[in-house]
Amino acid sequence: MNNYELYALIIILFVSIGTYGLRLSGLLLSDKISNDGKIRIFLDYLPPTLLLSFVTPVVLREGLAGILAIFLIAICMHKTKNIFLSMIVGVVTVAISRNLF
Amino acid sequence: MNVNINISSDFINGAKANTPIGLSVFAYGAVLGMICAQKGVEIYQLTLMNVFIFAGTSQFIIVDMWNNISEIFTIVAAALLLNLRYFLIGASLNRLFKKSSMKDKFIYMHLVADENWAVTIERSKHENITPLFLFGGGICLFTIWSTGTYLGYIFGGFINDPSKYALDFAFIAIFTALCFNLYQDKRNLIPWLFAALIAYISEYFFGGNLYIVLGAIAGSLVGVVLEAKKYE
Repeated sequence: MNNYELYALIIILFVSIGTYGLRLSGLLLSDKISNDGKIRIFLDYLPPTLLLSFVTPVVLREGLAGILAIFLIAICMHKTKNIFLSMIVGVVTVAISRNLF
Repeated sequence: MNVNINISSDFINGAKANTPIGLSVFAYGAVLGMICAQKGVEIYQLTLMNVFIFAGTSQFIIVDMWNNISEIFTIVAAALLLNLRYFLIGASLNRLFKKSSMKDKFIYMHLVADENWAVTIERSKHENITPLFLFGGGICLFTIWSTGTYLGYIFGGFINDPSKYALDFAFIAIFTALCFNLYQDKRNLIPWLFAALIAYISEYFFGGNLYIVLGAIAGSLVGVVLEAKKYE
């Protein structure tokens, strides 16, 4: 094994341990403190705020097509509750805009 | 007996529920596999990353910096910074694991990715599910992701431009759809808007991926401030 392979293995090892550590410690720590009312509210707000934080900059970077896609996804979800269909609507909207303009 | 049937059906349902999002996970994996082949990453190294790291964005960062592989600290720090959100994701799974043993927590948490987490959280608002739903989704994504990376590695170039078909937008579309399903009432509006705003501003100023964590913390804190009164 040469040095570069060793470096790669060390990196993979540390990132693996660190990532698993983050996943598990978040859960274990929240178990300890979740009885507090305020922390409960905080934890309940995490999923939607994480998702929104994830998508907002990307959608806005996409410009008008991104905003239109989000709008159509909202309508589609409201009418059909079908996640797969909503995904198709969003992807097709952005694909058309990218290929036309 | 009945319990067993319920448990295994949770696993299957979790796998099924993650199949649609698998389309974009596959495309994303194929792109990573392609880059790995170009950068000279060995198949066994790709496999180790898929199995033990199992976090797409940080795998991309590592492979991206592959030419400077001797900068161990920089690469590890960059990858873990990207994965900071998993701490919050883990914390938000607290209700789902309420009745689970320590052993279950240790086993099931490894295969938690953005996608099966989001699908599970959304489903748990409407149905009573166990962590096996999450785990079934994890196994499904792991299979699709790995297959994508290997096919990309071997047949590199078969999706020569995923962005042309907006496949990169599929994640965003699904996450948005899942998020809309989590909406309860107008009390959610201000914290949600705040999260989006802070995420946008911090992405604009800092770049990187820290904006996800910053936006989520800011929005959730606003939620606490607005709703905490009823607990006093």
